[in-house]
Amino acid sequence: MNGNKKNPLKQVLAIRGMGATLTAFAGLIMIYLAFGLINSTVFTGQNIMNLLRSMSKYLLIGIAQSYVLITGNIDLSIGSMVGMSAMIAATLMTLGVNPILAIVITLICCLAVGVVNGFLVGKFKLPPFIATLGTMFVTRGIAYMVNGNRNTDAIATGVGKETADNFQNFFYYGTTLGIYNTFWIAIVVFLIFFFLLSKTRTGRHIYAIGSNVDAAKLSGVNVVATTTKAYLVSAICSCIVGLILCAQAGMGNMEAGNMYEMYGVAAGVIGGVSPLGGTGMLLGTLAGASVWQTLENGLNMVGAQVGIQRIVIGIIVVFAVLLDVVVRTGQIGKKNKNAK
Amino acid sequence: MNDVIVAMENINKSFPGVKALDNVKFELRSGEVMALLGENGAGKSTLMKILSGVYTRDSGTMSIFGKEYEDLTPKQAQEVGVAIIHQELNMCKHLSVAENMFLGREKRGKLILKNTEMEEEAKRILDDLKIDINPKQAVGELPVSKQQMVEIAKALSINAKILIMDEPTSALTAKEIEELFRIIRKLKENGCGIVYISHRLEELQHIVDRVTIMRDGQYITSMNFADTTMDQIITNMVGREIKEKFPRVECKKGKKVFEVKNLNAGRMVRNVAFSVYEGEIVGFAGLMGAGRTETTRAIFGVDAKESGEFYLDGKEIKINCPMDAIRAGVVLAPEDRKKDGLCTKLSIRDNLTLPNLDLVCNKLQVVDNRKEKELCDKAVEDLKIKTPNVEIDAGNLSGGNQQKVVVGKWLARDSRVVIFDEPTRGIDVGAKVEIYNLMNKLKKQGIAVVFVSSEMPEVMGIADRIIVMCDGRITGEVMAETASQNEILTLATSFENKMIKDN
Repeated sequence: MNGNKKNPLKQVLAIRGMGATLTAFAGLIMIYLAFGLINSTVFTGQNIMNLLRSMSKYLLIGIAQSYVLITGNIDLSIGSMVGMSAMIAATLMTLGVNPILAIVITLICCLAVGVVNGFLVGKFKLPPFIATLGTMFVTRGIAYMVNGNRNTDAIATGVGKETADNFQNFFYYGTTLGIYNTFWIAIVVFLIFFFLLSKTRTGRHIYAIGSNVDAAKLSGVNVVATTTKAYLVSAICSCIVGLILCAQAGMGNMEAGNMYEMYGVAAGVIGGVSPLGGTGMLLGTLAGASVWQTLENGLNMVGAQVGIQRIVIGIIVVFAVLLDVVVRTGQIGKKNKNAK
Repeated sequence: MNDVIVAMENINKSFPGVKALDNVKFELRSGEVMALLGENGAGKSTLMKILSGVYTRDSGTMSIFGKEYEDLTPKQAQEVGVAIIHQELNMCKHLSVAENMFLGREKRGKLILKNTEMEEEAKRILDDLKIDINPKQAVGELPVSKQQMVEIAKALSINAKILIMDEPTSALTAKEIEELFRIIRKLKENGCGIVYISHRLEELQHIVDRVTIMRDGQYITSMNFADTTMDQIITNMVGREIKEKFPRVECKKGKKVFEVKNLNAGRMVRNVAFSVYEGEIVGFAGLMGAGRTETTRAIFGVDAKESGEFYLDGKEIKINCPMDAIRAGVVLAPEDRKKDGLCTKLSIRDNLTLPNLDLVCNKLQVVDNRKEKELCDKAVEDLKIKTPNVEIDAGNLSGGNQQKVVVGKWLARDSRVVIFDEPTRGIDVGAKVEIYNLMNKLKKQGIAVVFVSSEMPEVMGIADRIIVMCDGRITGEVMAETASQNEILTLATSFENKMIKDN
């Protein structure tokens, strides 16, 4: 039993969710090389840049959903929060509000949704699927109403071309050290939340309530606060993705972020985050988002249609979870004898 | 004599419809292991849940370390030094040993958790107890025995001085029990008081200093273990007279209807073999967790089994899933009505016809309303189900009537063997008698009836022959008319003697 100490590989594998993470990264490399061999433009610098940028959005969404999944819940309102974030930020800027102030207001609105989610699920014990389904509709409704049921004009019309360019460059078009800013933003957010989840008390409690909420409660963990914190992380990430989409389009789109909550589930699950709670790590989510985007990018490069891309993603998600089940139980489809 | 560290006096606690504790007293001294004994439902767990703050008492006084306490919350109880190690372990199985031990009171710097420090302290506590567990290992990967050790270590890490262990050895092997007892002795030396709840009476001699016996929510006696005998303990545990009257029907015992041979399904069903004859009710007695429910489930084909042969009216039948059993005419009214017996949100009609759709559907698999109505009306009439009509949700019926619907599902078919698993649990006396009458009626019709119950008086009053199980094995068979409660309880607690077996 204590042999673990001597074998460094085993020790790394013993870390929660590391196995799935490594599998996902291995898959990532294989997928990348495979597409590269078919079409060498996959390896070009410009493509790598694009890949990193498109991956960033999904990484952020993945972080959002992973936090909630690890607590054993789900957040269906992520996509709507993205849309609301894009619409509020864009509307404010078309009205001439300073971008920084607009971002602060947008963030507060998203956090409010997060608090509501956290309380509905943590305090009032609503099934998370239903609670966040409700906030999903409400939040999307708000996104529609912000600018009177239509998309906004270009943000440059309000804050002026120069400020608008600055905003758009900061979140999407600009580069630092040769890589798009979007990627840097995602990486900074990733590092902060990686740290929060793996090194702090809050992170520990998030795992604990996902693993066994009763045991956690009896050990003195504040379940309501912890649940709410997870939903707040989800809200923060969604807000940032909304800002990125706003910067990308230079305007607000009411349908922005549609279906993103499910993309978040996909990124997390491919990377080994269990939808049943208690397991997974953000490195896995990073791997999951990367696998997905590399796949999409590669399929694009070899000229596959969108339909094919969706089918492949669907298969990968199911396959990833199936693999996990097989590895954990060592069997397929057999009845669990000790179920009772 | 050591100090009294827990003194509970005149404790009363009622749950809706049941008086769980009636003027109970309890005393624990430091440095002793106190066995808390009693049959299922005697109130042991309730009492300990009051001590550990899970329940609040209706009246009575409780002092811990000489200080009076009003109602405690689990957290306050922990702070006072009371820790309970539950039968079903309460751990986050994805988290590591150290993480579980420090859950809710993690050590941290300004921001970052001091993982190394916590792991070291966990290691120190585990080493102190001479438990060989890596604190970094995920709890879910440990065997149950080690998980239990972790719970004990967790309790010690919060400085618990009063440890309550509820059936701690039920899932352990001989070696592991040895290990547990070593730790318990060590805790004793350190002045901890330990409450030890167990049905395994043969273990007590290895570890226990005093015993407190409870029965039907009442305090019976407490004494030094050395001054008593096993017989005395058992007599005190069961010593109630049978108050209720049971409607017994005499039938001539006919031919063998159903025989089970060599049934094995995991730990809880080992080498079970029995037969049931026409015109008799066979009772299954035993303590909770004796494997009776598991046996019924294995017979009915719900759970996978390793081996087992079934003979119905002399012919061998194969049962691999419930459908096989139903087709053959072997049916089960399961223990947990709401979970396994009924679709509580469907109507009585839907429930009654669910397993009988083959009878009420026409060739195109469309439900024939007329046949369905006939079937339901007959069931309601035969079983005297009290309901205005059959469209009411089954979940809205009283417990007794729900039970009748569960049984009614099966009586529409020509079943040969009906297995009742705890059919009278949680229903009132009048409804109980109706269930007994129903069983008697089946018995008269020549249907083989198997009756599983944890309530000894009712098994003795209704069954003709009683098979006693303990720990997954059949430990004996007695005739109801001649058996005594002591005899049955002795059989029900005759665990394999793990302590000796290992040597």
